[in-house]
Amino acid sequence: MALVYPNMQLSEVVQEHPSLIPVINRFEIRLGLGDRSVSAICNEYTLDTDFFLTVINTFLNEEYFPEKKLRTFHTSQIIDYLTKTNQYYQRYQLPNIERHLGSFISMSTPGNNTLNLIGKFFSSFKEELTTRIRKDEQVWFPYCLSLSEKLHSGPKEELLLNSSQPEEDTIEELLADLKSIMIKHLSGEYDENLCYAVIFAVSSLEKDIKQHNRIRYRILMPMVSAMEKLCI
Amino acid sequence: MHRNKQIAIILPDTLQSLGLYSLLNEYFPPVEVNLFPSFDVFCAGGNDLFDYYFVQPETFTFNTDFFLPRRSKTIILTDGIEEMRCQQSLNHLMTKASQETIIEQLQQYLVTDTPNTSSGDNNKELSSRETDVLQLIAYGITNKEIADKLNISLNTVLTHRKNITAKLGIKTVSGLTFYAIMNGIVSGEEF
Repeated sequence: MALVYPNMQLSEVVQEHPSLIPVINRFEIRLGLGDRSVSAICNEYTLDTDFFLTVINTFLNEEYFPEKKLRTFHTSQIIDYLTKTNQYYQRYQLPNIERHLGSFISMSTPGNNTLNLIGKFFSSFKEELTTRIRKDEQVWFPYCLSLSEKLHSGPKEELLLNSSQPEEDTIEELLADLKSIMIKHLSGEYDENLCYAVIFAVSSLEKDIKQHNRIRYRILMPMVSAMEKLCI
Repeated sequence: MHRNKQIAIILPDTLQSLGLYSLLNEYFPPVEVNLFPSFDVFCAGGNDLFDYYFVQPETFTFNTDFFLPRRSKTIILTDGIEEMRCQQSLNHLMTKASQETIIEQLQQYLVTDTPNTSSGDNNKELSSRETDVLQLIAYGITNKEIADKLNISLNTVLTHRKNITAKLGIKTVSGLTFYAIMNGIVSGEEF
């Protein structure tokens, strides 16, 4: 997929990829984009165009992940973005899936016990994700920021980063399982249309979380462990 | 999981190699494609375990010792029909054909010899031992305890778990528990 560049019209990009709408919202950019270019809009919102484009491009292209470049951004930029994605999951995507799931379960045959189980499965996923977000907000992110402040004066290039691949992520696995359960193992009578709505909502959360996790595990974590070594 | 198809492209023409490379990656994933500008470079790599070889007619003719025994895995790029007529038994790819035709030709060579499913084992039903293991997983018992209970080694438990996940497409304990309840392997009341 072609990359997005500063001189392109943001409205055209978004028209082609509506899935970017929540992403640009995280940067406080709202619709009514007119025909302004990406760089004009970034100026207007005082955003770092480079960071904005890197986020958008990694979001659109699964193969595109410029680790070196991402690690040159400031820790606070990265944490700010991850915090906003967390808020988006909590405020919009989780309630959205819940709403669809609620009508899916109530509109399908009441006797279908499988659907109630799917509801329970989702609740346990939600619990897991909410716990992680709480820990991020209360413990991990403040810790990362404090490390970066300590090193504020030091030259950033000296961070020795090794990219360790993360072990499997439960959150991603649970979402994949939820989808797989519905697609492979659903049984009994159910409402097709609402079922699709649930799967669609789950898929879009899954895609978003994959992006979040890439940044989390491959950028923020190595940054933090490098900072930790410098602080000792 | 199946091992990815290993493909060697031995062509001096960079654009041609890259074109083939992207077609293969785009239309026939998962593949692992290696590019070699000449047969010598290819030999220096020392690997002859490829599933497919894409070569020019010249490369084929000069290295028949290598390619004849592997002719079923070798696909020769030709730009005319005449050459094709005289060597019916060899696989050819017409480089001047339309994209659609080229993809059809590739499909004919690449797709037919693999079984129609990505998981080698077609039997999706859990064996009775796997069902036992699944039941214990659903009760929240650790791998070590499962091994003790069923009198099998920890490694065997892990193998069972891997197979269960492959068969059901479910990885997490919560997902597996869900499946177990849904299929009456454990009763739902305790959860």
